[in-house]
Amino acid sequence: MKKFTGRRFVFFCLRHAVLLGFLLLTAYPLVWMVMTAFRTEGDAQARPLGLPEQWVMTNLAEVLRSGEFSRAYVNSLMLCTASVAIAVVLAALAAFAFAQLRFRGSHVLFLLFLVGMMIPVHVTLIPLNRLLGVEGLNIKGGLVALAGPYIGFALPISILILRGAFAALPSDLLDASRVDGCSAWGVFRHVALPLSRPALATVVIFNFLTMWNEFAFALTLLGPGCETLPLALTRFKGEHDIQITQTSAALVLVVIPLIIVYVFAQKHIIRGLTAGAVKE
Amino acid sequence: MNSHRLTPYLFILPALAVYGLFVVFPILDSFRMSLLHWESPLLPPEFCGLDNFRQLATDHVFWRALSHNLLLLVGSLLVQLPLAILFAFLLYYPTVGRTLFRTAFFAPMVMPTAAVAVLWQYVYEPGNGLLTSLMRLIIDPDFSYAWLAEPKTAMLWIFVTICWQYTGFHMVLMMAGLSSIPTECFEAARIDGANEWQVCWHVALPALRPTIAVSATLSIVGSLKYFDLVYLMAGGLPEASREVLATYIYRLAFDQNQGRYGYGSAVAVLLFLVALAIVVPLQARRLRSHSGTGRTAAASSRGRAA
Repeated sequence: MKKFTGRRFVFFCLRHAVLLGFLLLTAYPLVWMVMTAFRTEGDAQARPLGLPEQWVMTNLAEVLRSGEFSRAYVNSLMLCTASVAIAVVLAALAAFAFAQLRFRGSHVLFLLFLVGMMIPVHVTLIPLNRLLGVEGLNIKGGLVALAGPYIGFALPISILILRGAFAALPSDLLDASRVDGCSAWGVFRHVALPLSRPALATVVIFNFLTMWNEFAFALTLLGPGCETLPLALTRFKGEHDIQITQTSAALVLVVIPLIIVYVFAQKHIIRGLTAGAVKE
Repeated sequence: MNSHRLTPYLFILPALAVYGLFVVFPILDSFRMSLLHWESPLLPPEFCGLDNFRQLATDHVFWRALSHNLLLLVGSLLVQLPLAILFAFLLYYPTVGRTLFRTAFFAPMVMPTAAVAVLWQYVYEPGNGLLTSLMRLIIDPDFSYAWLAEPKTAMLWIFVTICWQYTGFHMVLMMAGLSSIPTECFEAARIDGANEWQVCWHVALPALRPTIAVSATLSIVGSLKYFDLVYLMAGGLPEASREVLATYIYRLAFDQNQGRYGYGSAVAVLLFLVALAIVVPLQARRLRSHSGTGRTAAASSRGRAA
C-alpha cells in the first residue's frame, strides 16, 4: 500500500465532493417531495425550498380519505400479484425446455421471445385495444384486461433470466435424477425449480416492479373508476394541480414503499434490470 | 434428454399461447390495420394499400416525433454514458459510503415513470417549483420561466429528467463492468509507471468497452420506448413539439377519441420496423457469440460491486 500522500488526499476529497454533489442532484428532488408532502399549503407557497415550518400529516390524511388511492393500491396489488404468479409459472416451464430439452425450432422460438423484449410495447396499443374491446374478448375497462399484455410482455425477460439459471444447474445432478427415473416434468418440478430459487426471486420481484409501474397499457385499457396506482397518481395530479402539498403526499404514498422495497431487494432489482445486458 | 418427443412443446405451449395472443398477434394485426383507411371508430375501415405510409412521408408531426426520439437517444449517449463512466470510476476507488451512493444514484430507476413525471412537473413548475425557487434564490428574486411550456426547449428539460432517472442505471452497469476487470491489469500499469489518470484512460476505459457497448445498446433500444414522461410532461405543448413516436401513436388513436386506428397503426408499424432493424443485428451477434448460459453484467458483478 502506498503512502497517503498530499496529492492522494486531495484526490480523495475531490472525489467525495463530486460524488456528494451528484448525490445532492439525485436526492434533493426526492427529499423536496417528502418535505412538501408534510408542509402546509401556505408554507409551500412562501418558502418552497427549506425544511417545513411545521410538519403536518393533513396532506397524507386528505389523500387517503378520498378513497381513490386506497382503491388503486388494492387494484395494483391484486393485478400485479396474479399476473406475476401466472407469468412466472409460464416462463419457468418454457425456460426449462429452452435450457434442458432438445427440440426442433428451439432456436427460432427463443429468438421470437427475445425480440419481444426489445420491441416497444406501444406498437401493440391499438391492436390490443381492439383485441380486448367489444369486437374481441370484451374485457376492456376492467383490471383483467391488463393481465394478458402484462404477462405477455413479462415473458421474454423472465424466460431469459430463468433459462440462464436452469442451464447453469449441475448436469451431473440432472443426469442422476433422470437415471433414477424422473420424467422431464419430475426433473423440472423436483430438481430445477427448488435449485433456482434466487433466479425465481429475481423474476418475481422484477416483474412485480415493472407491472406496478406500468402506465401506457393502464392509460389505454382501463375504464373510468378503475385505476392502477400510476394512473391514479396522474389523475390526482390533474385534479389537484395547484395543491402541490397534496399531490406530493400522493407521490410519497406511491414512491416511499417502492424505495423501501428497493433497499431490501436491491440485488434482485438490479439483476433484473440489467439482465437484458448480456455480455458479448 | 430421454423424453417423449412432444414433451418440450408441452412445456413451451402455455407461454407461447399467451405470448402469441398478446404480443405476436397484435404486432401482426397492426401491420394489417396500417393498410386500412380508418379515421374513426364509428366508420367502417376500408382497404387503402400504402396510402397511410405515403401520408406519413409528408407528415411533419411524424418527422418531428422521430427526430425527438433520435435527439433523446444522442443526448443519452453523449451525457448519460460519460457521466455513468465517470461516477463508476470515482466509486471504484475506496470510498466512504459507497453502498449509499450506489443505492441513491440507482433509486430513481425504481420509481414509476408516471411518478417521475409528476414530481418533475413540480420541479419545473413556474410559480414555486423547485427549480424556479432555486433560480430565485441564486440569480434573481423575480425569476420566472415556464420550463415545460416553451416549445423549443421543453424537450431539453424532459431530457434532463430522463438523465436524472437513468444515469444511475448505467453507472451500476459500468461498476459491474469495472469490477470484472482483473485488478492485476491496473497494478501492472501502475508498476510500469502509469499515473492514475493514465490507468483510467488507457487501461480501464478500453477494458470497459464491452460494458459500454451494452449500455449503448440499452440506450438505443430504450430510446424508442419513451412514452410516460413525454406524454405527461409535454402535454401542454403544440402538436408538433410534444411527440415522440409512441405518444404520437397513442394520440392518433385514443386522444379525445380521435380514433385514427389505420394511420396510428402505420406509425406503429414504422416504430416496430425501426426497433427490429436495430435489434436483429444485435441479437444475431449475441446468439453467435454465446450459445450457452446468459452471463449478465450484473451477475458477474456479485464479487465486488454488489
